[in-house]
Amino acid sequence: MPEAIGVPSEPVGEPTRRSLRSILFSLEVDTRLLGMVVALAVIWVGFDVMSGGGFLTTRNLWNLSVQSSSIAVMATGMVLIIVSRNIDLSVGSILGLTGYVMAMLQAVWIPTSLGLGFDQPYTWILALAIGIALGAAIGAFQGFIIAYGGVPAFIVTLGGLLVWRGLVFEIQQGQTISPLDKTFALLGGGPTGSIGDVASWVVALVACVGIVYTLIASRRRRQRYGFQLRAMWAEVSVGVSGVVAVLAAVWVATHYFWPPLLAIQVFGPNARPDIPVGIANPVLIMLGVTLVITFIATRRRFGRYVYAIGGNPDAAELAGINTRRTLMMTYVLMGVLCAISAAIQTARLNSAVTSLGTQNELDVIAAAVIGGTSFSGGIGTIPGAVLGAVVMQSLRSGMLLLRVDSPIQDIVVGSVLVAAVGLDTIIRRRSA
Amino acid sequence: MVNRKLGAIAAVAAVVLAACSGSATPSPSAAAPSAAASVAAASTAPSAAPSTAAASAAAGGCTVGVSWNNYQEERWAKWDEPAIKAALAAAGDTYISNDAKSSAETQATNVENLISQGAKVVIVLAQDGVAIKPSVDSAISQGVPVIAYDRLIESPKALYITFDNVLVGKLQAQAVLAQVSKGNFAVIKGNKADANADFLRAGMVQAGFPDVGKSTADIKIVGETYTDNWDPANAQKEMEQILTANNNKVDAVLSENDGMAGGVVAALAAQGLAGKVPVSGQDGDAAALNRIALGTQTVDVWKDARLLGKAAGEAAAQLCTNPDVTKVTGTAPFVSPGKNTLTSILLTPQAITKDNLNVVLDAGWIAKAALCQGVKAGSVPACG
Repeated sequence: MPEAIGVPSEPVGEPTRRSLRSILFSLEVDTRLLGMVVALAVIWVGFDVMSGGGFLTTRNLWNLSVQSSSIAVMATGMVLIIVSRNIDLSVGSILGLTGYVMAMLQAVWIPTSLGLGFDQPYTWILALAIGIALGAAIGAFQGFIIAYGGVPAFIVTLGGLLVWRGLVFEIQQGQTISPLDKTFALLGGGPTGSIGDVASWVVALVACVGIVYTLIASRRRRQRYGFQLRAMWAEVSVGVSGVVAVLAAVWVATHYFWPPLLAIQVFGPNARPDIPVGIANPVLIMLGVTLVITFIATRRRFGRYVYAIGGNPDAAELAGINTRRTLMMTYVLMGVLCAISAAIQTARLNSAVTSLGTQNELDVIAAAVIGGTSFSGGIGTIPGAVLGAVVMQSLRSGMLLLRVDSPIQDIVVGSVLVAAVGLDTIIRRRSA
Repeated sequence: MVNRKLGAIAAVAAVVLAACSGSATPSPSAAAPSAAASVAAASTAPSAAPSTAAASAAAGGCTVGVSWNNYQEERWAKWDEPAIKAALAAAGDTYISNDAKSSAETQATNVENLISQGAKVVIVLAQDGVAIKPSVDSAISQGVPVIAYDRLIESPKALYITFDNVLVGKLQAQAVLAQVSKGNFAVIKGNKADANADFLRAGMVQAGFPDVGKSTADIKIVGETYTDNWDPANAQKEMEQILTANNNKVDAVLSENDGMAGGVVAALAAQGLAGKVPVSGQDGDAAALNRIALGTQTVDVWKDARLLGKAAGEAAAQLCTNPDVTKVTGTAPFVSPGKNTLTSILLTPQAITKDNLNVVLDAGWIAKAALCQGVKAGSVPACG
């Protein structure tokens, strides 16, 4: 991120002796984000050593990317809500309700009630569109009560948590809805729901070009406005690390091969044993969502307003920002993201169950907070929250790999949450 | 017009008040013959009780009260209640009920209400088996026998009627071991806080499956974990990690219920293993029975709620004439986790596999279209 939060505005002289701090300063990287990357590396290497090389395999990392995606998608929206000094406790229940509706559309309503039959080419997109519209409507409803009604977000979304889940129990009656539309199921990933090696490398190429272009464009913009330029070596190192990270991730995805039995079922008995799986669809969705929300948060007026409101609500109001509309829109966005996550989760499970999304609100909030989002408002980054989701899922997946049972997992994840935020608070207080 | 509107508002207000006042809970069964009386009694509580008693006296037999913990769940209205009613009607007894709406506190009041409405026997589907104990003990001391329906109440004098959960686990393990008797096994257990998760696991040991943390010469447990909330999505992640850790060398999976079995099968399918690795379950979920027909799940242990309702209704009818719970036919002593010795009737669950799917079909538990969706013609006898 070339325009990380906390960019120095005053001119800084070229440091003569390069301490770690001054190097980081010249690179203009978000130190909190960097800290998380380091923490993640420690967790990964730690699990890999403890599991005797079982964690850092292409298969496990690919699993991890898919398992993190649905929480990561919602965490991006949660950042904006927490940044504006609010909270959303209802995300898991909204996910449950939208997931139920999308599943019913493709398993019952479209094929049977309307008599159009199963697996129509338009079923998946229709179900997805209606689910997203429903998510937006629920978000707008809650957001309206919060922003215009002045009812605390905690209360409104706590109510939402109960209401939407209650609605799912009431209308779904404990039934599992399955199987889903075959095209829709591809949204959930698995080797069939992945894009293969060629498309993955195309994505990598686009991403690398994007990184280089962003760096160049940002440098030009600074030149035009006469801002302090980043040293050339810093520009190059940021660019190179970005490109290397992208290439490494795609290398991992394309070096996880189709499970032999599945390859034979799908491609016939003569299937090669090394067909690359590539990036999974849910991961692609997650990356797309991250890009879009980051763009909205940092480059659009709406996003800047959200941060302004979080920094100082009164000042934002006095500056002429329509704070109510902005707040309501954060909930609309959250509702849409819940529906997208619902699509990922139902597709992955190939069914909708009444417990879908239960307690996801806790994982989503934890991901945002581990990712550096502050409850005091105004602070938080989208990539940080995505990393936070990956950290949480790394802990869970790693412990499952080590056969640590669920009660101990909860204890570890809970402790890490408090420790991470505690450490962050101490560091922030010191640097302030 | 105006009058009608006012009347509607008044009616709504009355319902809201009745629902909110805690001590007064309307009967969930508005269509039942006795419901009118019980609604009237509930809305004004004890003062109306004599009229209900008179009504039940007119019916001939005695009155049996049922306290549901949460009538909103489909199962109770669809399967359990009609079975209880039918058994009571056959004995000439009267059925009354109320709903605690998932509140342990409301349920305590509800049990007292049933007795004040003239119930001679009370059937309790406990919201909280410990919290309800004082009300149950108080009822028993008043000479009203109590049946703990489906869920345990730690009261030594209550009659506990349920399906044998240990046997469910045993049947699950037996069916899977019949397919694969040696190799690498994974065990996906339910919520740690739910005693049933451990009952089921104990049943697996009775079937010759090794206990937690142990392996035999033939059977190696390569993954065993509890699952928060019995959540299928969690079970899917657990299975993905177990498969990853063992490089897909998993020969069979013991999943404690159908929902989690769905997650397990999804994880297996992503590795091309669905249908090749035996998987167990329980509950008789439509989706799981369909999986059995498709061959991706091996066994579904079915607990027919109608048998449970029938047993409770018949036991209640017997208790009307003799309040001694130990004299009810088919009872046996049962030692609870709280070390109380209860009198119990444990019903036998039934293992459903590909070969006897016609049982659930004939019982009307599932429609043929739902059971056989996507099943290749001629592959399963029940689907034709």
